[in-house]
Amino acid sequence: MKKKRNRNSAQGVWIFGDYRNYFQDRVTLQLISKGRDLAQTLETEVAVLVLGEGIHQYAMEYVAHGADVIIAVNDSRLKEYQVETYTTVVAEIVESYQPEILLGGATSFGRELFPRLAKRLNTGLSADCVALEIDPDSGLLIQTTPAFGGEMLADVVTPNHRPQMATVHPGIFKERPHDSSILGRILYPEIDIRPDERIQLVRSRPHRTGKTNLEGADIVVAGGRGMGPKEEFDMLYELAELLGGEVGATRPAIRAGWADEERLLGQTGKTVKPKLLLSLGTSGALQYTAGIQGAETIIAVNRDPNAPIFKMADLALEGDARSIIAALLEELRKRL
Amino acid sequence: MHLEPTMKQAVIRRTARKYAEERLAGTAVDMDVTGEFPMDVAREMAGLNYFGLEIPSKYGGAGLDPVSSAIVIEEVSRVCGAMGLCLAVHNGVSAFPVYQFGNEEQKREFLVPLATGEKIGTFCLTEPNAGSDASSLETVAVRDGNHFILNGNKIFVTNGGVSGINLIFCIDNPGEEKKRFSVFIVESERDGLEKGPSEDLMGMRGNPVCPIALNNCRVPMEHQLGKEGEGLRIALSTLSGGRLGIAAQSLGIAQACLDASLKYAKERHQFGQAISDFGAIQAFLANMATRIEAARLLLYRAAGLRSRGVEYTKESAMAKLYASEVAVEAARCGVQIHGGYGFTKAYPIERYYRDAKVCEIYEGTSEVQRLVIARNVLK
Amino acid sequence: MNIAVCIKQVPDVPSIRIDKQRMTIIREGVESIINPLDCVALEAAVDLRDKEGGFVTVLSMGPPQSEEALREALAAGADQAILLTDPNFAGADTLATSHVLARAISKLEPFPDLVLCGSQTIDSDTGHVAPQIAQELDLPQVCGVNEVHVEKDFFVVKRVSDRFLDTIRISMPAVLAVSSELCVPRHIPFGHLEKAFSDCNIIRWGMNDLELNPEEVGLKGSATWVARLHTPPPKRKGEILSGSPQILAGHLVKKLEAMGIIDEEEKKP
Repeated sequence: MKKKRNRNSAQGVWIFGDYRNYFQDRVTLQLISKGRDLAQTLETEVAVLVLGEGIHQYAMEYVAHGADVIIAVNDSRLKEYQVETYTTVVAEIVESYQPEILLGGATSFGRELFPRLAKRLNTGLSADCVALEIDPDSGLLIQTTPAFGGEMLADVVTPNHRPQMATVHPGIFKERPHDSSILGRILYPEIDIRPDERIQLVRSRPHRTGKTNLEGADIVVAGGRGMGPKEEFDMLYELAELLGGEVGATRPAIRAGWADEERLLGQTGKTVKPKLLLSLGTSGALQYTAGIQGAETIIAVNRDPNAPIFKMADLALEGDARSIIAALLEELRKRL
Repeated sequence: MHLEPTMKQAVIRRTARKYAEERLAGTAVDMDVTGEFPMDVAREMAGLNYFGLEIPSKYGGAGLDPVSSAIVIEEVSRVCGAMGLCLAVHNGVSAFPVYQFGNEEQKREFLVPLATGEKIGTFCLTEPNAGSDASSLETVAVRDGNHFILNGNKIFVTNGGVSGINLIFCIDNPGEEKKRFSVFIVESERDGLEKGPSEDLMGMRGNPVCPIALNNCRVPMEHQLGKEGEGLRIALSTLSGGRLGIAAQSLGIAQACLDASLKYAKERHQFGQAISDFGAIQAFLANMATRIEAARLLLYRAAGLRSRGVEYTKESAMAKLYASEVAVEAARCGVQIHGGYGFTKAYPIERYYRDAKVCEIYEGTSEVQRLVIARNVLK
Repeated sequence: MNIAVCIKQVPDVPSIRIDKQRMTIIREGVESIINPLDCVALEAAVDLRDKEGGFVTVLSMGPPQSEEALREALAAGADQAILLTDPNFAGADTLATSHVLARAISKLEPFPDLVLCGSQTIDSDTGHVAPQIAQELDLPQVCGVNEVHVEKDFFVVKRVSDRFLDTIRISMPAVLAVSSELCVPRHIPFGHLEKAFSDCNIIRWGMNDLELNPEEVGLKGSATWVARLHTPPPKRKGEILSGSPQILAGHLVKKLEAMGIIDEEEKKP
C-alpha cells in the first residue's frame, strides 16, 4: 500500500482496531475476515489501524487473524481511547493513504469515533450494519443497516465520497481462526499527535451492573400478562438466576406490579439483543417486540396459537406459560 | 366548518393518552377492585392541570377550550372510567359554575383550590325525592342575619367522599308558593355538613359517590353563588355544560370498547381464521365505529358552540344522549365479540360494560335529554 | 448557562410509509412525536437551566409540521424555539443534517455553553448527528451521558461505554449526547401546552437565513444515499409445539442444552 497523491484512486479495505476489550469483543477480528472477502473482490488488501501504547501484541493478533497490513501509531498520548485525538490522527493517516473502505465495530467507542471522523473527512457513514457486499455493477460497498428500530433494512451507498465508512454490528461476521504462520507488514506513519486538552478521562472502571443489566445480558427471560399473578411471575427471577440471565417484562406486567419499571422491554423501555430471549406469556404487541426483535434466538410460550409473538419465534410452545416454567424449574433445580 | 383537530388538540390528545396509558391503567383496575379513590394519583394529576381544564390560568387552571377539555376527559375515561367521571363532574359542574357565576372573592377563595386540584368539587342536586323531578327538591336555606342555615339531604353525590368544596342546590324561600332556588358553596369541614358512607356501585367503582346531609349547616351569605334567586339559571347553565363532560366521558368508554374489540377480534381464531374476518363481527365493529364517530362529531359541534358563546342547550343534550347510548351499545357488542372471555375479569371489557350504564342515567337521564331536545325543536 | 437542544420529530413506528423515489419517509398524515431521547435531552436542559440560570433554545430541522414538536418543547420548558425548514433540506443524511444544525447553533447569540442531543433516534438509529455537530463546531463531545455535574467552566459527566463506567471532565462549550438513564422527562401540564400553542413564537430559518448553498444541504449535500429499503426476511421459522407442560419443558431443556446454556445431563450407566 502506497501513500496516494491521486485523489481519484483509492485502495485498501481498512479496519479500525478496537482492541480495548480484546477477548470479549471480537468484532475487529470479524471485520478482518469480512474485509478479506471485500478486499479480494476489489483486488486490494486488508489493513488494520491500531492506535495506542504497547499495541504490538494486538498487531500480531490481527495479522494472525488475516490482516495483510497493520498501520500502527504507538504513542503514550494515545494510551486512552479518546475521540477527539483519535479523530485527528486517523483522519491524517486516511488522507495520506486514501483507503477505499474504512470499517469499524459498532462498539460504543466505534459509534462515537466514526461519525466524528466521517464529518472530519467529509464522507458518508452508515451505522450498525448487518450486511456488507460489493455491488457487482458499480463496485460500491452496499451497507445494509436497520431503520425504524429494525422494522426495515436500508441498503446505503456512498457514491461520491471516500472512504466509504461503516460501523458494523458485532456478531454478524465470523472471524477466521488464529494462524501464527501468516506474515504481515507493519507500517509506522509519522503523525503529529496533539491530544485534545478540553477533555480528560478522570476515571474509568469496569462497569458494575446496577440492579439490572438487561442491555448487556446474554440471556433475557421476559414475562408478560400470561405469567401472572405475582407469585407465578416471581418464578422468572429464579429461572433467570439459574440460567445466568436477566428478567425483563412487558408493560402490562409492570403495571400489575410484578416487575420494576427498569425491566420494561420495548419502545418506551429497553432494547435488548441477547443470545437467547425467552418470551413467556406475552402476546407480542408491537410496542414490546420492537425491543426484542434483535435477539439471536427467541423462544416464545403462549396459550394462544395465533399470538403474534409466534411469528418471530425460533421455538414456539403453545400452552400455559406458568405450568411450563414450573415444570422447567423443577427439571433445572434437579441438575444444579 | 373545520372538522379536523388543530395541532394543539392533537398534542393535547397525545399527552393525555400517554399519561392515561402509563399512569392510569393499573389505577383503573385497582379502583374497580378495591372501590378506593386513588388520592395520590389525583394529586399528581392536579399538578398537571387535570382539575382546572377550562379555568383560565390566572385562577390556576389550564385555560383550555371546550373541545380540548373534552379530548382530555375522553382520553382519561378511555383508560379509567371512574377517574374520567371524577374529572368531568369536578370540571364541568363544580369548578366551572364558580368561575362563571362567582364574584372575585369567591373565585379567590374557592375557584383557585378547585382549579389547582387542591380541593375536589361536587354539585349536589339530587335528593331521595328529587331525581329527574329536580325542582321538587326539599333542601332549604333560611336567612339568619349574615348567614343562611341549610337543612336537607343530598344523595348520589359524585366525588362526595373526597370532596373539599360542595355546591349545594336548594330553595331559599321556603313556604312561599313560587319556589326560588339558590346555590351555596359549602366546604366539607363546615359544621353541619355530614357525609354518609359511599355507595357500593355496579360500575365507576372507586368514585366515592355518597350522600351529603345538611344539618343546620350555618353558611355565610358570601357563599351564595350568583344573585338571589339566580339558582335555577345557574343550575340549567351548569347542567348544559356538564353534559359535554359526560358525553366526553361516555365517548372515552365507547372508544375503549372498540379498541378492545378490534384487538380481540384480530387475535381470536376460530374455524381456522381470525374472527375479524367474519361478516357478523365486522358488522359489530362497523356499527361501533360509525356510532362513535357520530357521537364524537356531535360532541365537538356542541363544544364548538360553547367555545363561541353561542346557545347550545339542544346540542349538548343531543351529545350527551347519543354518546351515552353509544357507550352502552358499544359495551354490549364488545362483550358479545369477546364471547365467554368477555364475561370474565381477565379482559377489561366487562368493566366497561358496568361503567357505561350509568352514563344514560346521571346528569339528566336519556328520557330527560329527549324532553329537552323536543322542547327545543318544537319551539 | 445557555443551552441548545437539538430535537427531531419522528414518526410513531407502526404507521410508517416510504417515498420510494427519494428513499425517505413520507411525514404527512403520520402521527409524529418528539424522538424519546430528545425529550430526555430537553428535560436535562430545562433542569440545568432551573438550577444554574440561563436560557434554553430548542432547534429542529424538519418540514413545517415540525412546529408541533417545537411547541411541545416550549411547553416542556424551553425558552426559545427555532425551526430550520426549507424545501432544500429534504432528503438529508446525517452529514447534511449536522451541517444545518451546526450552522444554526453557530448563529445563536451568545454561543451556547452546552449542546444537548438525544444519543439516537428511533427512526434512523445512527447516533451520528451529535458527534458530527461537535466536529463541525470544533467542540469536545461525550456520548451516552447518564450523569452531568456543572462546575465553573467545565462539566463532569459519567457514561457507560463498552463495559467501562467513565468519569470525564469536559470543558465548556461542549456537546453531550444523552442516554435514557440521565433523567425521566416530566409530564407536561395542559396549561403549558395551551400557552405554547397560543402565545409563543417559533423562529423560522431557511437556507438563506443560514447562508447555505443548495449543494451543502438536503439530498445534494448528502454523502450517503439509500438505494433500497426492504423488510428483513422472516428469519424465524419455528413450528408451534404443543403438549403437556412436562413435555414442553423437556423441549426447552433440550434447546438450552443445544445452545450450551446448561450442561447436558450425565448419561446414567
